[in-house]
Amino acid sequence: MRRWLLQVSAVLAAAALVLAACGGSASDGGSGSGQQGGGQTGDLKRIVVGLQAEPVTLDPHQVTDYNSNRAAQGIFDRLVEFKDESTELEPGLAERWDVSDDGLVYRFYLRQGVTFHDGTPFNAEAVKFSIERQIDPNHPYHDTGEFAYAEFTFGKVREVRVVDEYTVEIELVEPYAPFLAHMAMHSASIVSPAAVEKYGRDFSKNPVGTGPFKFVRWEPGVEVVLEKNEEYWDGAPRVDQVIYRPIIEDQARLTEFEAGALDFIVNIPPDEVARLKASDQYTVLEQPGMHVWYLVFNVTKEPFNKKEVRQAVNYAINKRAIVEELLQNTGVLATGPLPPVVWGYTDDVTQYDYNPDKARELLAQAGYPDGFTVDFWVPESGSGMQQPRAMAAAIQADLRQVGIEMNIQTFEWGTYLDKVLGPVEELPEVFEMSWIGDNGDPDNFLYILLSGDQWPPNGFNMGYYKNEQVDELLRQAQRINDQAERQRLYEEALRLLVEDAPWAWIDHETQIVAMKKSIQGFKLHPTGVFRFENVDVVNN
Amino acid sequence: MTTYIARRMLASIPVLLGVSILVFLIMHLAPGDPALIMLGPKATAEALERLRQELGLDQPLYIQYVRWLGNVLQGDLGRSVQLKREVSELLATRFSATLLLTAGASLLAVVVGVVAGVTSAARQYSLLDRVSMLTALVGFCLPVFWLGLLLQITLGYRWPIFPVSGMNSPGTTGLLDTLWHLVLPAVTLATGAAAVIARMTRSSVLEVIRQDYIRTARAKGLSERVVLYRHALRNALIPVLTVVGLQVGFLLGGAVLVEMVFSWPGIGLLMVNGILARDFPLVQGAVLVVAASYVIINLLVDVLYAFVDPRIRY
Repeated sequence: MRRWLLQVSAVLAAAALVLAACGGSASDGGSGSGQQGGGQTGDLKRIVVGLQAEPVTLDPHQVTDYNSNRAAQGIFDRLVEFKDESTELEPGLAERWDVSDDGLVYRFYLRQGVTFHDGTPFNAEAVKFSIERQIDPNHPYHDTGEFAYAEFTFGKVREVRVVDEYTVEIELVEPYAPFLAHMAMHSASIVSPAAVEKYGRDFSKNPVGTGPFKFVRWEPGVEVVLEKNEEYWDGAPRVDQVIYRPIIEDQARLTEFEAGALDFIVNIPPDEVARLKASDQYTVLEQPGMHVWYLVFNVTKEPFNKKEVRQAVNYAINKRAIVEELLQNTGVLATGPLPPVVWGYTDDVTQYDYNPDKARELLAQAGYPDGFTVDFWVPESGSGMQQPRAMAAAIQADLRQVGIEMNIQTFEWGTYLDKVLGPVEELPEVFEMSWIGDNGDPDNFLYILLSGDQWPPNGFNMGYYKNEQVDELLRQAQRINDQAERQRLYEEALRLLVEDAPWAWIDHETQIVAMKKSIQGFKLHPTGVFRFENVDVVNN
Repeated sequence: MTTYIARRMLASIPVLLGVSILVFLIMHLAPGDPALIMLGPKATAEALERLRQELGLDQPLYIQYVRWLGNVLQGDLGRSVQLKREVSELLATRFSATLLLTAGASLLAVVVGVVAGVTSAARQYSLLDRVSMLTALVGFCLPVFWLGLLLQITLGYRWPIFPVSGMNSPGTTGLLDTLWHLVLPAVTLATGAAAVIARMTRSSVLEVIRQDYIRTARAKGLSERVVLYRHALRNALIPVLTVVGLQVGFLLGGAVLVEMVFSWPGIGLLMVNGILARDFPLVQGAVLVVAASYVIINLLVDVLYAFVDPRIRY
């Protein structure tokens, strides 16, 4: 009996070891080849990227988060692409396009001779498939995913028409100038219809596109491996392999990077940025992102229904101190709702420099010489929220100086989203929010976040702000295709908005990445995706 | 013995059922809408409604639970809302990673703990005893995440002997590579448990070492090592075994912090993400698996009692 038990437990233990070691990784027979992941291993040029968390899907139509977007980006192309370092547009899978005079019909002329990684030819049908799969509930492959961005990206589409093999027309329900920028978003990626038909819902883990990198494998929790597409229409990438690894802990990711097993990392702890910059082994790149962090004033309630009170809060918060000391310059000071990287931006607006005296004056004018007390909702964390609790505490302390008492209530992110998008009667007077832009069109900030048409549940104007004059400017800017005229309209809208102060804007978060010096030619993109197609690995 | 094991297995069914109901209720009572979290704030009301319908969230709670249970009984744990994969597939890969981590840590904790405990007991109040018990006290008090980061910075970066994180070198798989990656997380996880086992072993051995049969064994001229490990430890093992069982269960659940620090792709990490995303099918499936392994470990410990002490019969 004893021997029997001993043997059984030995076998069980051995089985557990083997089971664990082989778990889900049978696809690659290679043995451990050493710790050094990055750079050139043998003749292989490889970049190992440390992400903040694991991607949840590689189906670009289902992407809703940065990590998935970053890992999926290189597998696919879009008809229109953002230029290297801006959100200006350039041809992608469409060689050129024209727009009808009434602004309703977009005709795209497609690149010929392009094939998907599985050999399926790229053509007008594939474009139609990629869009209709998301927006047509009766499409045979509509049930292969949840398309969170479908309505946002293609909400204005009436019909997608195949004109011939390499020409496709998209008709809109009304003129809508930001549409072209939408066509450069991840949700407008062109997927292989044959692959979606083959894998169904599992397309999200078997992605097939036309992009510069081909999907090799995805080991859950461990890594996503891509390899270069030798047949890429725009020339094969110089890097052979890109590997995305989720390393959740910021400090652990940095240690792993410095130990040499990662070549490229995101979200460097602010305290460590200066040290990395000083090192001659690494390149640190920074760029203000398409992001804004703000306090939403609930204008349906006292006291923030008064413009003077909203302005007073903007004057009373020492925003510069928050950016420089608390955030350690991992963001740039905001002068309005629109980040400077987005066109349409102007700094010719009312400036709210830190001025508590002016704030007290404005409060007195508004009838609150002794200040007031309000509820203030804060999430514990959240996408784009930076350091929500520390920032809330700083704001609370600043506002106490001018007599405004804020009762902070903290919620877990999932709960928080639920509550701030809930019924207006239950909203507090003021709460924190942030927004990460999708396509670099000012409409994607100003209209969605501040137009009177965009009160929840239609949009994200969560403070229920409404200004007829602004609304008219924003609607007008949607209808015309003349860029210079649109710029003028947005500048005008910005001036009105900043004066009216529907929010207290704090900062625009900076994207910071660090990479080994051997990685050359990498450029940050405002949308936050990583493009490795023009990057090389050069070891000295 | 067989009837005993069968009876214990049967008794575990209501336990698991109870656990699943509890988890189901807690998850559904927590505020936060899985559809909203999954589709993000940019989704439209119709899309949200459609997804809620698809997930069955528009049904009353008891119907949702019965449906889920019915599927589980047919071996279908459902599909993860967030990760868009079968829950059983996710659990299979993730749980084996946790199992490996726990097994490695347990082995380490038991060997180090028992040897340290017996040695300390044999030389009570010696310098060795004091040093090892002080070390145990410190080891028990060290926060896991701090120890993990410290080991990463020292043995992973300053003196790069072991890999800093993950379960494989990038782009590779293989048993040796995995075992090599296992060292730091296993040491981190084992430290606290080893400390508890060491202290328990010491006091337990101290109790038996003064008894007559030990003196008899020594009088027979047996070597001190045989006396300690064959005679004393054997009789001191029951309380130690209880602690080991508890610790292994604890390690299984407590691996989550270590998994986070070392990006070890285990079930704890999966569960935490699942909870934050209100991924009901995933969390329910994971809790069920963890609960089942607790039950099995407990059973194993009870069976081992009989093996260690023949006086115990079932």
